[in-house]
Amino acid sequence: MPRYLAGRFAQALLVLWAAYTVTFIILNVLPSDPITLQLSAGGADISQLTPAQLHDLKAHYGLDDPIVVQYFHHLWGALHFDFGMSLTQNVSVGSLISDKLPSTVTLTAVAVAVMLVFGLGIAFLATYVQWGPARTLLARLPAVGVSLPQFFVGLLLIQVFSFSLTWLPATGTDGWRSLVLPSITLALPGAAMLAQLLTRSLGDTWQEPYIVTARAKGLSRWTIQVRHALRNASLPALTLLGVLVGYTVVNAVVVETVFSRNGIGQLAQQAVLGQDVPVVQAIVLIAAGLFVVVNLLVDLLYSLLDPRVARAGRAA
Amino acid sequence: MTTSHRHRTRRRLAATAVSVLAAVSLAACGSGGSSGPGTSAAGGAQDGKPVPGGRLKIAFWSDFQACIDPNQVYWIESRSIDRNLADSLTDQDPKTGKIVPWLATSWTVNPDATSYTFKLRNDVTFSDGTKLDATAVKTAYDGLHDLGAKSTLGLTYLAGYKSTTVVDPFTVKVDFATPNAGFLQATSTTTTAILSPATYKETPEARCAGKIVGSGEFTLDSYSAGKSVKLTKRAGYAWPSSLITNKGEAYLDGIDVSYIAEDNVRVGSLTSGTIDIAWPRQPITSADQEVIKASGGTIQTRALPGIIGLLVPNVTAGRPLADLQVRKALYKALDLPSYAKTVYWDGYPVAKSSVTSTTPYAADQSAKLAYDPTGAGKLLDTAGWALGSDGYRHKDGKKLTLTFLTNAAGPGEQLVQDQLKKVGIDYQIKVVTAAQLTPTGNAGDWDLSGGYLTRADPSVLGSTLDQAVSKSYQAKYSQDPATGAKISALFAKGLSTVDPDKRAAAYQDLQDALIDNGVAFPLYDRLQTAGVSAKVHGFAWTSESFLRANDIWLSK
Repeated sequence: MPRYLAGRFAQALLVLWAAYTVTFIILNVLPSDPITLQLSAGGADISQLTPAQLHDLKAHYGLDDPIVVQYFHHLWGALHFDFGMSLTQNVSVGSLISDKLPSTVTLTAVAVAVMLVFGLGIAFLATYVQWGPARTLLARLPAVGVSLPQFFVGLLLIQVFSFSLTWLPATGTDGWRSLVLPSITLALPGAAMLAQLLTRSLGDTWQEPYIVTARAKGLSRWTIQVRHALRNASLPALTLLGVLVGYTVVNAVVVETVFSRNGIGQLAQQAVLGQDVPVVQAIVLIAAGLFVVVNLLVDLLYSLLDPRVARAGRAA
Repeated sequence: MTTSHRHRTRRRLAATAVSVLAAVSLAACGSGGSSGPGTSAAGGAQDGKPVPGGRLKIAFWSDFQACIDPNQVYWIESRSIDRNLADSLTDQDPKTGKIVPWLATSWTVNPDATSYTFKLRNDVTFSDGTKLDATAVKTAYDGLHDLGAKSTLGLTYLAGYKSTTVVDPFTVKVDFATPNAGFLQATSTTTTAILSPATYKETPEARCAGKIVGSGEFTLDSYSAGKSVKLTKRAGYAWPSSLITNKGEAYLDGIDVSYIAEDNVRVGSLTSGTIDIAWPRQPITSADQEVIKASGGTIQTRALPGIIGLLVPNVTAGRPLADLQVRKALYKALDLPSYAKTVYWDGYPVAKSSVTSTTPYAADQSAKLAYDPTGAGKLLDTAGWALGSDGYRHKDGKKLTLTFLTNAAGPGEQLVQDQLKKVGIDYQIKVVTAAQLTPTGNAGDWDLSGGYLTRADPSVLGSTLDQAVSKSYQAKYSQDPATGAKISALFAKGLSTVDPDKRAAAYQDLQDALIDNGVAFPLYDRLQTAGVSAKVHGFAWTSESFLRANDIWLSK
């Protein structure tokens, strides 16, 4: 197991380095000079600067070094969680990220919890309930969830719960009340996908011979569902969850815009359009880090849920 | 929620992405800063006796620049907040464009506009207790100049800045190396707001993040970039400009600013009473105006001064617009009244010149901009562009294609495409990201590009079109060398004198020349709109079309 862990960890680091390097190359290949970008954002032109002013600005942002030097300089900084200065916002990338990360992390954490509860709950009920129409309805419900665009759901929830009923705030990041609508909006597609997959795999598991054996032993439907079916059916769902957590961060861009939450999603959008290289790099690294960590966790959980996985790993 | 409403909502949201994309180009609008005469849509006298108390909640659309320092920001929304935090030497009357006393009680300017002397009030203090005197003004102007490129507006406002001299404790002299006739107007802007001397000991970054102290009728409590701004009224404030009715402390206890990117959510927040003022960048759509009015609110409107929404041509030899006849045909092919009516609403002002109607010295050019598709056709025939069977014009086997470069195409571009198709011009819309706009523009592979800029002085046109001053791709490609020299001479003439009659004559000639030589194509006028709830009274615009909160009070 420790060898397996070390291998996975090294692999994770390699993924992070690759993500960083590829982003760096792509952003620097784009035909535009950050200083020009920054000035034109302010309506000024590079020609308005004296050579000395230009030199100062370039030195300030570390743009006067050769590109390879810049790469290693930034990489070294990134290893120390120092991502340099934002090109468009006059502050260090670190302070931008630490300002915006908490609200996004809270939002996505709550959304993933909501996703799990709804995804598991619907799949569980859809296979547990024995009344035909209810089973059909529950099994079809996720298809609706998957097909509703997130921004539409968000605006609908705002209209109903914020503007008409005035139960919950439509905007802002103050307190748990402002988390309810955005986290439901963010969780919806993931929950629906999870429910679809889990319903299917629970349904399949119920056809397995060992379930017949369990029933023959006189176990209740509840015990079979919880102790036997769910554990076996959850493996593919777990893989999907790993991917969904990643998507949640991506979808935060839309949800944060609709609900006026000032988080990483909004920052990412601005940074990409403004070609704010250091900010984009930091965000890509955070997102890659999240993917890597979640997938590592999923792999570890796999071996807990299904001992065959760990054994196969040892054999190899 | 009706179906059409939903549909609109959806399109609106899709537009959000586009509008953020537009952010950087819109930022240009922030540059330049001044004001011009205009309709001050103040709530006014019918509101009754002001009641003190309450906090005003206002929502803007974005805090893209993430900076609150008046000396550094170009972002319109931040300047609106700053106007209520920090005072300037002078103020500008939104109705007449006249410069009036504020922190300075009087001033003199030498004839060639290189030396300005200001007499200051002696009863003004910053909110940290420091007295405002000649030394404080010198510290502030030197500090603004030291910001260099960090203050994109400051660069142009202080163009040619030499020094500020303390003449006596309440008299300062500002000297320029080259004539800067626009400087008096610049002293009325938020960009040249005077901050406390202690402020200039902070780093520019710290100032951006909120380490600023002004002498305004509000003080800055907290600023969280992109999230919120909180202002509290300054006790004992007693030095507003002569334009303000309320001579003392603000009626409001404070102002809470938030940022809501989605139009629909911002309007809904206004009508449901969560906010008191909804302040977007793009004009509020007529449908949303109806929604706001139905809830008892009002729509306040003021034309922004400065460069109008323009199309700027690329006249490089070999491209279709190198031919003056084709450019003349383009004027006739554009139907400006229907543009204003279709893209905005019935009654929206029609573009009449290269500067907006609220810019001082604006001259009506509408006779030269009249819609005449038949005339356009004739000109194009004469120029050798014959109508083909495909509905487009051709010459030497080449189709008459005009490529429009933009980073945010909207319905307006499609309307232009439609209008030009009627005379046989193929109008192609080339959309690039905000980051790619300048490089693509510099490369010159386009025929028309757009632009606008806010400042209540016609000299603002120079930042886009004067080849002697601006190295922007629009200045570079819009004029051949001979035309460029002619235009630059007119710009220089306008800046070299402070005499209003001479300036008026110079800028009349300039605006004529821009159209006669096909250098600029006015397309749409620019309005700042704000949705205001019924409980807000005394709403007022500055000459720069920013918020002026001195006279605002809330009914209980």
